[in-house]
Amino acid sequence: MRISISWLKEFIDFSLSNEEISDKLTMLGLEAEEGYNTSNLEDLIIGEIKDIIKHPNADKLNLCKVYDGQNTLPVVCGAPNVELGQKIVFAPVGSTLPGNFKIKKAKIRGEISQGMICSEKEVNISDEHDGIMVLNMDASPGDLFIDYLNNHLGALELDITPNRPDCFSHLGVARDLAAKLNININTPSYDKRSFNKNIAKDMIKVSFENPEDCPRFVAGIVKNVKVGPSPDWLRHKLELAGQRSINNVVDISNFVLLEMGQPSHIFDYDKIESKEILIRRATKGEKIKTLDEESRKLTPNELLITNGKKPIAIAGIMGGLSTSVNDKSSTLLIECAYFNPPVIRKGAKNLGMSTEASKRFERGADPNGTEKAMWRIIQLLEDIANGEWVPGIVDPYPKKIKQDLIKLSRLKLDILSGCKIPDKAVKESLVNLGCSVKQTSGEWICTPPSWRPDLKREIDLIEEVVRIYGYDNIPSSLNYEGIMNDQITDPHRSLSKIINILTGFGFNQIFSNSLQSSRKISALKFNSVKMLNPLSDKMSEMRTSLFQGLLDTANFNFKNGNPDLMLFEWGNVFEQKDKGLEGIKEKLYLSGLAHGFYIKSSVHSDESQYASFHLIKGVVDGLFSRLKMNNVVYDKIEDNNMGLENAHTIKINSEIIGYIGKLSSKFNNLLSLDIGKSYGFQLDLIQLMKLADIETRYKPVVVYPSMIRDLNFVLDEGIPVGEVIHTINKNGNEILIDVEPISIFRDNSIGENNKAVAINLIFQSAKKTLEDKDVNPVIDEIIRVVSKKFSAKLR
Amino acid sequence: MKLKESIESVRNQFRTDSDPFPQDDTSLDKLRIKYLGRKGLLAGLFSGMKDVLAEDKPLAGQLLNELKVEINSVFDEKSNISKNVSIKESTDESLPGINIPIGHIHPLQQTLDEIKSIFLDVGFSVAYGPEIDDDFHNFGALNFPPEHPARDMQDTFFIDPETVLRTHTSNVQIHLMEDQDPPLRYIVPGRVYRNEAISFKSYCLFNQVEGIYVDKKVSFSDLKSMLEYFVKRMFGDNTKMRFRPSFFPFTEPSAEVDIWSDKRKEWLEILGCGMVDPEVFKSVSIDSNIWHGYAFGMGVERICMLKYEIDDIRLFYQGDMRFLEQF
Repeated sequence: MRISISWLKEFIDFSLSNEEISDKLTMLGLEAEEGYNTSNLEDLIIGEIKDIIKHPNADKLNLCKVYDGQNTLPVVCGAPNVELGQKIVFAPVGSTLPGNFKIKKAKIRGEISQGMICSEKEVNISDEHDGIMVLNMDASPGDLFIDYLNNHLGALELDITPNRPDCFSHLGVARDLAAKLNININTPSYDKRSFNKNIAKDMIKVSFENPEDCPRFVAGIVKNVKVGPSPDWLRHKLELAGQRSINNVVDISNFVLLEMGQPSHIFDYDKIESKEILIRRATKGEKIKTLDEESRKLTPNELLITNGKKPIAIAGIMGGLSTSVNDKSSTLLIECAYFNPPVIRKGAKNLGMSTEASKRFERGADPNGTEKAMWRIIQLLEDIANGEWVPGIVDPYPKKIKQDLIKLSRLKLDILSGCKIPDKAVKESLVNLGCSVKQTSGEWICTPPSWRPDLKREIDLIEEVVRIYGYDNIPSSLNYEGIMNDQITDPHRSLSKIINILTGFGFNQIFSNSLQSSRKISALKFNSVKMLNPLSDKMSEMRTSLFQGLLDTANFNFKNGNPDLMLFEWGNVFEQKDKGLEGIKEKLYLSGLAHGFYIKSSVHSDESQYASFHLIKGVVDGLFSRLKMNNVVYDKIEDNNMGLENAHTIKINSEIIGYIGKLSSKFNNLLSLDIGKSYGFQLDLIQLMKLADIETRYKPVVVYPSMIRDLNFVLDEGIPVGEVIHTINKNGNEILIDVEPISIFRDNSIGENNKAVAINLIFQSAKKTLEDKDVNPVIDEIIRVVSKKFSAKLR
Repeated sequence: MKLKESIESVRNQFRTDSDPFPQDDTSLDKLRIKYLGRKGLLAGLFSGMKDVLAEDKPLAGQLLNELKVEINSVFDEKSNISKNVSIKESTDESLPGINIPIGHIHPLQQTLDEIKSIFLDVGFSVAYGPEIDDDFHNFGALNFPPEHPARDMQDTFFIDPETVLRTHTSNVQIHLMEDQDPPLRYIVPGRVYRNEAISFKSYCLFNQVEGIYVDKKVSFSDLKSMLEYFVKRMFGDNTKMRFRPSFFPFTEPSAEVDIWSDKRKEWLEILGCGMVDPEVFKSVSIDSNIWHGYAFGMGVERICMLKYEIDDIRLFYQGDMRFLEQF
């Protein structure tokens, strides 16, 4: 909403700079921004056109003489609207216009031009560039344009919150500002006129299909109107508020709207074709051609103003073309109504229309503003459009809107504000906002004004009092009324530890989009959660795995010249397991991926480590070890829907808490990947955090020396070493504390398809120094079992 | 002294075996096992100590140790040389250090952790809740009227007409108040979704941290002090801030908090807040005559962008290493 500062000043008397007004309004909740960008306008001055002659060498150009307060200078101008005596914006030689456009002395088609006459666009006022900007006649040549702008055009752009329909008007904004400044407000005259005989009533009858839709409809008639251009003051006013003048009748309607917020519509009475107005819902398929010459197809969502049969306007949104006012119109029917906000909102939405009228009606207009606006419009039609009021108005008000009494208690105000706002300040702010207030001991009984549909409850009044008192003036309390919480303060408290471990291993954390394309989702056979109204095909479903996001990120970096990628992400994945919301399962995962070199060879070492299954396994081992879990078991699985090949489950205490493997080649095509092989892990983060939360207990350090024995088995190539180790572990007793493979040796001397695996066995007892006689029987048993189970031979 | 002779014999044998020193791992291991293994020659000599007369033990021990040191030092020296191909470079201290893989914590995570720790320090707990929720928890209970524009398909992602991707983490506020009696004090971090065109300043999702405190005496003044404390911890002691009246369906009075940017010479909005609206209490059957509360909500991305002067929200979700490595 554009608010003209000079217009505000007609209602309230204050001397604040534009910036101060802007601050005050912002701190009232009416977020304000300066309406014009005045930077780079410092060089411009006001000029006067003293003479115009045709340019001798160009049809479309004029040779003007511009008086700049001191000299009269020749200026070539091509604007069609330049006229003798106009006050204009003059950019003298040496000045700079916005956009760093420097004005120089020039010769245009042989004629000297010393400066430029500016359009609105050139000085950042509007997009208007068809002609020059014409200033008020009271502008004085030689004055700075920027001063003129601040005094005459000073305007603020307000961002009005949806609870404040009353502030879509100058009067509404002035009222808030007056309340804040605690000063009086001078409202224009909306006085009722008296009449003997209600002639209007004979000329028009108003009836309702459903008064709920339109609780109040005020109609008045003015005859002998002469439609024509508006007087300067009116045109200027509208321009200040950012609107163009059309003709005196339309301008009056718009003026009253901007002044006090009541939308109105003016019909050509003679074109209505009946003496009747019926307000009813549209029937399905009914049509109307609106003022903008669009043909609108209607539904029962829209409320209509009809002549009893045919629609003549879409109520609260836009008038019909067939009854519109043109320069031949003479007798006018004025409509000032109050429509039920949800009806207008629904209709406007349904039609995809948003008009100045609908914007106000759908947020809630002032039911009593209808009559006030009627008298104001009648007065103005008489004053400036030669109109003649037909005595009487028609004002059926079938559904009275009442303002209920609201009690505001001192106790509640004090609790919620946290301070003691003085009685006087409470009462004054409410009265200044238009409430009628009765003060009793410990409470105020208020009736809110009809223009404030948002004031219904005690809390609404508390907000008003605190708002006018000023949020700045509420002290910050220093006492801290706390509650002690003996529960877990953060269920994710071990997440930081996990993230630190992974980044310590060289993994980088990413965040990726939870919304994905169905193509990417289709890589895994989960029933995904789909959106009814996706932003695009690329983001139509909720992710079912974190791998797609990790792969996309890896691929993005790969294409940008970074092929060595260790990435992880934590976040929710979603699955539609059953119907409806109940059937949606959200699971918190932690997944990671490795691609390219983990360690590159360097001047220090030729050795490098490439991303591999065992790298990921080492990362997972390391993670669990840091989380004090050394009993991780990996089991190969055949089928999985995790997006992994050579997949293994990760088990802790026989429970599966995740998977590792090579990222499936299924992703390559569906995600258009350029990267090579990558390996990943996926962990159930909730379970992981639960395990990480288990507190560790100190175990005494064993002081007796350990004993190391090596066994070197010759095995068939196909036997997994992990199984041999598992078997050894199972068959060693409690003195066997660690089993570690140390080398694998392949040579024809041990037979083709064989491998020799050297394994370190470490024995230790917490009770004594071990001797051969303690260890030998255990070793013998291990050799026996391993030899038998795997047909292994000792080397 | 039989042991002394054995020691000399092993020494000579080792000198022969270790010259030339083996270059491949297999023969190296063989040599190592022969002398230093559990059943190796050196171990054999040590086990012979038990048969040495008491008066000879100190000398025998000394000789044996000398041999052990000799053998070990040869292994240490020679095996190092054999493994390090480029010994010249490694003695040049001016070379860069060895590359250690370094991971980076995402700036959003760092910001989120910082926000969490500030509120945890003053007694807030942390709660989490569903990203997909019903209309009641996301809108209805939070006093959004049925025709509110946020309930429109244009602003919110729908799964079905009754189910949405939450537009704020305030849905968890409702779950918490349904499940437990006041007093309660929580912050709720999590992903939220908005049906907005993606640009440098808006993304289809972002991370929000919402806070709620319900107790018998909770005032606007308390809210101010809490958020002033937060802003000081987050942006520094001298940060200029203001509470500006605003409107949200679920709080009244409502405010937006701005901080002043000296660099940009303007106020920057960082969060929304207010006193819990009585209608919200009503929807979870809490008596607003007894209980009062405040709530606030902030975007982690926005705070992070202000803190690190990041100018494009999409960077957070792109995973560009050139971006991530800066944090």
